[in-house]
Amino acid sequence: MLKEKLGRVIQAGWNNFRRNSYVTFGTTGVLALVLLLMLGLIAVNFFSGVLVDALESKVDVSVYMKTNATDQDIQTIKRDLEKLNTVASVFVVTREAALAEFRERHAQDTLIQESLAELQDNPLQASLNIKASDPGQYATIVSFLETHKLRPLMDKINYYENEALIGRIQRISSTVRDWGALNTLLLAVIAVLVAFNTIRLTIINQKHEIEIMRLVGGSNWYIRAPYLVEGALYGIFAAVLAIIIWYIGASAVSPKIALVMPGVSLIGYFFGNFIPVFLLTVFVGIVLGMFSSFIAIRKFLRI
Amino acid sequence: MIELANVSTVYEDNFMALQGINLQIKDGEFVSIVGPAGAGKSTLLRLLTRELKPTDGSVMIDGVEIAKLSRADIPLLRRKIGTIFQDFKLLPSRTAFENVAFALEVIGAPASKINEDVPKALDLVGLGDKLNSFPHQLSGGGKQRLAIARALIHRPRIILADEPTGNLDIMNGHDVIQLLLKINELGTTVVLVTHNKDIVDSISRRVVTMDGGQIVRDQLENGRYII
Repeated sequence: MLKEKLGRVIQAGWNNFRRNSYVTFGTTGVLALVLLLMLGLIAVNFFSGVLVDALESKVDVSVYMKTNATDQDIQTIKRDLEKLNTVASVFVVTREAALAEFRERHAQDTLIQESLAELQDNPLQASLNIKASDPGQYATIVSFLETHKLRPLMDKINYYENEALIGRIQRISSTVRDWGALNTLLLAVIAVLVAFNTIRLTIINQKHEIEIMRLVGGSNWYIRAPYLVEGALYGIFAAVLAIIIWYIGASAVSPKIALVMPGVSLIGYFFGNFIPVFLLTVFVGIVLGMFSSFIAIRKFLRI
Repeated sequence: MIELANVSTVYEDNFMALQGINLQIKDGEFVSIVGPAGAGKSTLLRLLTRELKPTDGSVMIDGVEIAKLSRADIPLLRRKIGTIFQDFKLLPSRTAFENVAFALEVIGAPASKINEDVPKALDLVGLGDKLNSFPHQLSGGGKQRLAIARALIHRPRIILADEPTGNLDIMNGHDVIQLLLKINELGTTVVLVTHNKDIVDSISRRVVTMDGGQIVRDQLENGRYII
């Protein structure tokens, strides 16, 4: 019985969808545009994420050790740092490694090479290179180092030189994230309103039918259900249409973006996440379609 | 049994559509309600289908005060009633078969009953060969006969017909009235609203005449359209 009712409801929804071909075409098109906008927002978020990550990865803090610090001291500081959950990674550059790197960097410069040969001892300092899990955490990491028991063995912490830069990058990152979220929200609201109004117009077209169904004694849910199915169908078809257009468009644009931002592949990102992106688009399409139908039809069911 | 007691209806613009109406219609009666435009005939029908609530007085069908029905119970009331309109009120995107089937679907009839009863009803009104036609493919008379098939299909106790011949020529109008009389013979109460004098006079049953929102004459037998 329930199965039969459900079958009728789906059939009626499908018939509405199929038989009003102009309206169906228009509504599906508008809804597809809305979903394309959503996919565009995902792409914008992807790019701003790449940008912020790139900026943040350029930030670090180095601690230069006095030459009398032993390897053991350095390892102790490294271990203590790694215990902090604000620290993402600690990389140790020993005095020898620093010297080797210095020699290599200045291999062409005979004056430097000769001066180094004159020296009895390695003049370079060992250093610890620290990356925080979040650029906002550098200040706390530095204050931890300031109070560390081996502080006397540390010569210089370059945070103070980089402080202004780190602060600026951090502000840019959070601004990009906040504006991204705000824009996403704003556009999402506009998208919902557009989708809602389109479907509402479609249903107002069918006001006459709804009135008749009521007069024949259709219960409100029985009348409403086919329109919800119709709304869901707009959503599904619009999602498929939007996905096809999006992937074709992204494939065309992606190589050009890679020229400007090397190593960034838009299409790679979207193909890598095809299933979640597809499901999200279909889900949003269905929810938009059904919700708009629900609200639109409510008005005609009052009498 | 339909009973209206002291019913008044005032529209939002303060137009008094009905004024102190008292009317009883017994089961199985065929009643014609006549009167000039604006007399309140259609308002009376809309009270019976609970599209409107009376401003004052009570409307009872089978002992139930229908103004007090909850929103969920209104569809149940409407399933007891078959309604026919001047403008047919067919679902344009559904075929003749589907239009009639819809009235059965809403009451939860099984598919087997629908497949059996709908063609019979369409046959009865002379549309046995038009099962798959859409309303726009039918003539005016065809549309009204389709509307009658829909009104009949769930075997309602009451049929309300609001100017069912208004958009039809004399021949088709006559056919529709003959159908209504036939339905009435089978025991269904028929309330016919019309301002077609020839039709009313040819039926010669009970005639209620309205004017200015009031009942001005109630001829219980062999009624005539007299203004």
